[in-house]
Amino acid sequence: MTCSPTQPAAASRGPKSEPSAVSAGARTGLRLAGVQTLALTRRSVVSEWRQLGNVIPGIVFPLLLAAVYTHQFTRVILLPGFPVVDSFLDFVLPASLVQSVSFGATESGTELARDIENGFFDRLRASPCTRLPLLLGRLGGAVVVATAKGVLIIAIFLLFGTEIAGGPAAAVVLVAAAVLLVIAIGGLGQVLAILTGSQEAVNATFPLVFTSIFMSSAFFPTNLMSGWFREVAEANPVTWIIDPVRRLILEGWSWSDVGQALVVPLVISVVTVTMAVVALNRKLSSS
Amino acid sequence: MSVATVDHSTNLGYAGRVASAICGRGMRRIMARPTLIMPVLLMPLIFVLSFTGAFGSLTRVEGYGTDNVFNWMAVYAAMQGAVFAGVGGASTTAEDIENGFFDRLLLTPGSRAPILVGTMAYSALRSTIPTTGVLLVSALGGLRLPGGLLTLVTVYVATAGMAAAFCLLGLAVVYRFRTMRSMILIQVCGFSLMFLSTGQVPIHFMNGWLHTVARVNPVTNVLRFARQGFLGDLTWSMTWPGLVALGAMVAVAGALAVHQLRRLAA
Repeated sequence: MTCSPTQPAAASRGPKSEPSAVSAGARTGLRLAGVQTLALTRRSVVSEWRQLGNVIPGIVFPLLLAAVYTHQFTRVILLPGFPVVDSFLDFVLPASLVQSVSFGATESGTELARDIENGFFDRLRASPCTRLPLLLGRLGGAVVVATAKGVLIIAIFLLFGTEIAGGPAAAVVLVAAAVLLVIAIGGLGQVLAILTGSQEAVNATFPLVFTSIFMSSAFFPTNLMSGWFREVAEANPVTWIIDPVRRLILEGWSWSDVGQALVVPLVISVVTVTMAVVALNRKLSSS
Repeated sequence: MSVATVDHSTNLGYAGRVASAICGRGMRRIMARPTLIMPVLLMPLIFVLSFTGAFGSLTRVEGYGTDNVFNWMAVYAAMQGAVFAGVGGASTTAEDIENGFFDRLLLTPGSRAPILVGTMAYSALRSTIPTTGVLLVSALGGLRLPGGLLTLVTVYVATAGMAAAFCLLGLAVVYRFRTMRSMILIQVCGFSLMFLSTGQVPIHFMNGWLHTVARVNPVTNVLRFARQGFLGDLTWSMTWPGLVALGAMVAVAGALAVHQLRRLAA
């Protein structure tokens, strides 16, 4: 893969007024950054495609868990305080989706760490690439994979009788929230990749992600939990994302739920990606 | 590990020393590298805390079998830890194959069986770490022993047996594919068998295909054996099916591992 030169082409286009030259240069730089991000995204997607064995467990395992829970929790949905559902399958859809995309969410960090370990990152740095695409390209790959997983998981649930009360638009929100969560987790993975340069260190975040999902309202409503676990689950950002998404599925469309479902992961994404950019800038300026 | 003369190679005592050296090497390795202990211990602890916390209200459903969720979930988390321990033991062999150490082991005189037995013993011993961790954390959460102290023996026997069975199954796969990546097959197999059992709810809570699968799943019998002392008294009728299931799993997985080891060494 080659990156296009970042030298603004406008600089060689003859006399122009200074502000318009700067603006044209910025536009060209932005376009090049976009092209480079797309090239690196494509590389990331191709890499995932070639390692489908790593992607499939992230689809099969959440589906297996959903199938098992649906058949073993038939009496549980009758507990007072449990949301009104026809089947546990309706309740568990957001959990399965979040679990599925989380399986590959740290991949953008792991791949970045691999690039650092095997020297490819240094070659990218030496090439005339702008800095941001180095991070965004990897996240772009994770976004494409997460979107595909999201669509597949929802399709399978619909096939087995799940009804989304909020309609197709709610399904789109569901996928969008999952994708934003992947960016948030991926950003965190990239921070660790840049700070440690180790795939092992990035992989070590997986139990953290796994625990965050289990210690949330993903598989059981928080009002049926008790003690310290309930407090942890209620303070867990995963709960703040899953609860509104679940209401979109079980109760119907609500703008406030859409807002909460998207804003929470968006804010976390902005924070973690900004941290990754800062870490990258520090790494590049110190070396 | 010292290599004895060829005369000693047919001696049972020599085979025992080789097996214990391999087992000891694994334990020394795990003790010397705390980063290896953490996942072994951490995941089962996460399981016991997550399952008891999230599914605590299951005890309110009639017929659950206990009013203390730790008495149901602790064994399940310990068994998950045992599966990890078994897979971890086989992973050590995968690492040895990848870095060439296993080839040197095969060059040692005598039977190959001690290599297999030593690794299996290492996994069984390693399983005591998560089992003890889970029992201690559960005790803090209010775990009770209506079946008395003998209950703890059943848990350790069950977890050691599960670790041995999954180690042997892992070894069969590792001897066949010779890569660390192949361990994912055993992890998926282990996770699936655990989830398709009575890990989280009694069998009469299940319906449809899951009920059928859980009934024939050998892990269900092992769980029943290990859990009986947490739900009431220990009885022979709950004990023997669990022991038979453990024996059968170890025998089948062992036969597969021996077959693959012979192919590898040939």
